[in-house]
Amino acid sequence: MSGQNIFERLQNIDRRVFYWVLFITLMVPFIYPIGLPVKVVKNTRDLYEGITGDNINPGDIALMNFGYGVSAWSECAPGFTVSAKALFREGARIVFIGAHYDVELSFNKLKNDAAADFAGKVDGVDYVFLGYFAGGESAIAQLATDAWTVYPEDHYGTPVADIPLMQDFHGWQDIAVVLSSDTGDVGSYFLRQWQGAHGTKLAEIGIAMNGSTDYPYYLAGNFFGLSIGSRGGAELEVLIGEPGEATTAMDSINASHLLIVVAVILANVGYLLSRRQA
Amino acid sequence: MAYPTELWSLIGLWTGWLLMLMIYSYPLYKENVTYRFAEHIFIAVFLAINLVVNFTNVMRICVTPLLGGDLLMIAPLIIGLLIYTMLIPEYRWISRYPIAILVGAGFGLGMRGVIKPSILDAVVSTITAPSAGGLMDWVNFLYIAVGLLSSIMYFLLTYEHTGVLQPPTRLGRLFIMIGLGAYFGNTVLFRFTMLTGRAQFFLQVLKIIPM
Repeated sequence: MSGQNIFERLQNIDRRVFYWVLFITLMVPFIYPIGLPVKVVKNTRDLYEGITGDNINPGDIALMNFGYGVSAWSECAPGFTVSAKALFREGARIVFIGAHYDVELSFNKLKNDAAADFAGKVDGVDYVFLGYFAGGESAIAQLATDAWTVYPEDHYGTPVADIPLMQDFHGWQDIAVVLSSDTGDVGSYFLRQWQGAHGTKLAEIGIAMNGSTDYPYYLAGNFFGLSIGSRGGAELEVLIGEPGEATTAMDSINASHLLIVVAVILANVGYLLSRRQA
Repeated sequence: MAYPTELWSLIGLWTGWLLMLMIYSYPLYKENVTYRFAEHIFIAVFLAINLVVNFTNVMRICVTPLLGGDLLMIAPLIIGLLIYTMLIPEYRWISRYPIAILVGAGFGLGMRGVIKPSILDAVVSTITAPSAGGLMDWVNFLYIAVGLLSSIMYFLLTYEHTGVLQPPTRLGRLFIMIGLGAYFGNTVLFRFTMLTGRAQFFLQVLKIIPM
């Protein structure tokens, strides 16, 4: 160890040191915010414009799918919350469904984060929470043709026949727009069984990891808009004019990215120098 | 969201905080008994919730309508139960039928919707030059078009990648490497964002930053 230069030492550093540095780096911007500007990209703007203004009418029904669990709240929840707020402000009605067991927690968080928008809304009339669905792609295909068989009752046990909003929702033809926020494949099920099969207007609020696979569908017009990760959530918060969780987290995320860039550069420089010496 | 004041909410909050620290004790320190304890709790809770949710679903979607007179619901119930013959070696073969139905239905459904969005629209989008837009739109268009063609050529295994085929297949390999690199980079960044959420939670529970 004593004969090693700085770059060789950096290459052999204990991974735990890096994890500690990373964890601290993530925390500091929360305590001392930097306030870096957030630039809105076209795919996020298209999503926002697709659910506001002339593109949505009062009384239209939007289907919002929680395709994420609690672990992905930081990635998906901010964008999903802004979308629900925007739809409510346009007078749209919303049907909430979920592909994760813990969907109730995600729905409660959404209600909490958009409390002002939910305040004047009536459960069962302006929105309905149908809860978790089992069956993956088959269930989503069935939801398009006969929604009542997938959900005979809502999450709280009220039969759908007794829910006013559900009188207007039987299948894909009743839905003006579908917004799916996913960590997995559920968005692609909607792509195949709703957008591909029936031409339903569909947008994805996805995680950063799926950005590169979702983007071609946005370019091809299958998704009318696309929000990618926490960054997309922050952009949507900018568009609606209400900085929230994602905007706060962006400084921290940027700091972590910077740390990784520095680590990659140092590791490569060290590797190249040590190879040259050898 | 305000800091919770109810007793059970506070207990839940601090339990989550402690369990998170127990889990992070593995990467930040080393494997230890608190990490294993939290890991086992996580798996147990996950399985319990999984079981309850799925059982409730079967009751809600299948059993309740069946008991209400919808006799057709007997079919999915029996087909579903047949999967459990997998546990009896001499009747194991029966479980192949429900699995075959599942796989067949999955493929059928997938094929129905995959052609337009994943093949037709993707091809049209790739070969359509941007009618308007700036320089970057053209750069993107050419990048995707050249990348697609050369990447496909890389997988032409009928011919050896020599002579005329060498430059495009090498280019294709480069594009594939760039694509995989971008995908890996996005994966890492996604994990970091999740970690950011945990760092925020860590500080919120300690009231260092507002909830």
